Amino acid sequence: MSHTVTASITATTQPAVERVQHQPNMAGDNALRLAGLAKRFGTTSVFDDIDADIGHGEFITLLGPSGCGKSTLLRAIAGLTPLDQGSIHVGQDDITELPPQQRGIGMVFQHYALFPNMRVVDNIGFGLRMQKVSRNERERRVDTVLRLVELSDQAHKFPHQLSGGQRQRVALARALVVEPRVLLMDEPLSALDARIRRHLRDQIRDIQKSLGLTTLFVTHDQEEAMLMSDRVFLMHQGRILQQDRAETLYTRPSGSAAAGFMGHYNLLDAVEAEPLLGFRPQSARVALRPEALYLSLDGRPFGGDLPPRVGPALSGVVRRHRLLGNIVRYEIVGSTLTLNIDTLNRSTRTLLVEGTQVNMYADLDEVQELSE
Amino acid sequence: MANPAPVPLPAQSRRLSSLPTLNLYGVVLVAVFTSLALPLLATLGYALASRWGATLMPDGLTLSWFIELWTTPRFLAAAGRSLLVTIGALVLSLVLILPVAMLAQTRYPRLEHWMNTLTLMPFAVPPVVSSVGLLQLYAGGPIPLVGTPWILIFTYFTIALPFMYRTMTNSLRAVDVSELMEAAQLLGAGPIKAFFLVILPNIRAGVQIAIFLSFSFLVGEFVFANMLVGTRFETLQVYLNNMRGASGHFTSALVITLFVMTLILTWLGTRQAEHTVKEAAR
Repeated sequence: MSHTVTASITATTQPAVERVQHQPNMAGDNALRLAGLAKRFGTTSVFDDIDADIGHGEFITLLGPSGCGKSTLLRAIAGLTPLDQGSIHVGQDDITELPPQQRGIGMVFQHYALFPNMRVVDNIGFGLRMQKVSRNERERRVDTVLRLVELSDQAHKFPHQLSGGQRQRVALARALVVEPRVLLMDEPLSALDARIRRHLRDQIRDIQKSLGLTTLFVTHDQEEAMLMSDRVFLMHQGRILQQDRAETLYTRPSGSAAAGFMGHYNLLDAVEAEPLLGFRPQSARVALRPEALYLSLDGRPFGGDLPPRVGPALSGVVRRHRLLGNIVRYEIVGSTLTLNIDTLNRSTRTLLVEGTQVNMYADLDEVQELSE
Repeated sequence: MANPAPVPLPAQSRRLSSLPTLNLYGVVLVAVFTSLALPLLATLGYALASRWGATLMPDGLTLSWFIELWTTPRFLAAAGRSLLVTIGALVLSLVLILPVAMLAQTRYPRLEHWMNTLTLMPFAVPPVVSSVGLLQLYAGGPIPLVGTPWILIFTYFTIALPFMYRTMTNSLRAVDVSELMEAAQLLGAGPIKAFFLVILPNIRAGVQIAIFLSFSFLVGEFVFANMLVGTRFETLQVYLNNMRGASGHFTSALVITLFVMTLILTWLGTRQAEHTVKEAAR
């Protein structure tokens, strides 16, 4: 057994990696189309009206607070939870009614779901064994993905002998080796500690790009979503509020729910916003990012020059400051409203102490009028 | 020259602190062990004695009682019947209980509540009472089973049920059954294949423990065997009961044989259990 494995490792050369990398492209159109998906448990709706077109090789993040239905949506796409309405297409194929084992969809679970009775190689080879791939071919392909996730030296260990990060990489390799048309990942990094999480995040993204794999990634972590995705789908209370590129989602949230979840927006209603903007906004609510607000101290700009178009000065008092590393977030209380304002943390000497009188200005080009 | 003096001190203090506790522990252990082992040793001695009458020690040692027992066709037949009934009951309970435990764990959590109540029934109803009930049920009517081995297989199934179900539920709980099933299915395995390749190997140890231990107490079962089937289908315990008028040496050999059989099975079961604990601790 060990002899044949060593033999196949030495026999497998670089072209094998390239072959796997180009396989998904040759497999044809792997775009994912969701149309009118809905799911109810009893009378409560878990998600509703889910429509999305995901391009071939695109990395999509489903971002939302816990309980927004994003994991259930992922499970429904995998076929693990039945749908009440709607259809799912991968490429030209309608997979809505297919059982999970026939969908050609790979999935990585939050808690790895590795088979405890099997070694790493057998865990990864399981899918190929189900496809009745010959033993030699199986060993070769397992070997290739093992190198892709940098675990060749752990091949003959059992899952319980591995660290969390290693286990999740095995789970990823196990899903990749069968060359799924779509890869689903259900909060795969949530159970890992911060350092491993950052490393694995970049690794997942690199592998996904090199394989051109259509990927749907679920997370509640805004940073993860912004760093990894081609597009982010923001989910809230069972609906997709906004589908956009990360930077658009961040600077142009469509509604107050989106603004409330992204960044640390100051959400103001029209009456509150009037003295800061110098006019009454058309919409009922406006959103202002803390870094699009400016301060002046004793008549001089503080923490950066004012932008070309600012609203009138509004006086306030520093209630507290929070040091976020490279950024200081001030909470400043005016006569009618309280605002969070970010400045760059250039030097500890210039920190504003509690009780300091300041003026606040809004960058009028960055004011987000919200539709709801 | 000055060195050797301090050496005895630590040794002495160690002896002082550990000796009394060790002694107490040892005394209790020896007392318990002796009281448990003495009857068995006496039986073993009697089984090995050629004659043990008025004297304190047996007259001589012999294996002839064992040889006589092991060559008695009636004994061998009884042993065969016991094996048949016990293995039949275990196979039946495995085939029926494992799927139920599996479904209760994954798809129908409400089933677990009912199973918990059901598994208490064999404890709540004494064997003498339930055997009368079973006799009434199976004496006539469409399925006259009294006197056949079938009735014993079904009855033993009910005795083994709580034990088998509990052990299997615990093993299933130790692995995340639904997630493993889902992972296997997404990799292309049908539910049946997923169960045999992914779930069963992970609960194998628990199932083995349940089987070994159930086997050892089912082989020793007497009340149901005697009440329901009696001499028409003589099992080991019924045979032992029927032989009580025979030579004491002969029945002693029978008792020792039964004991060793049970001992080996229990030992196999517990060894498996320890092995599993070590596995889990790794």
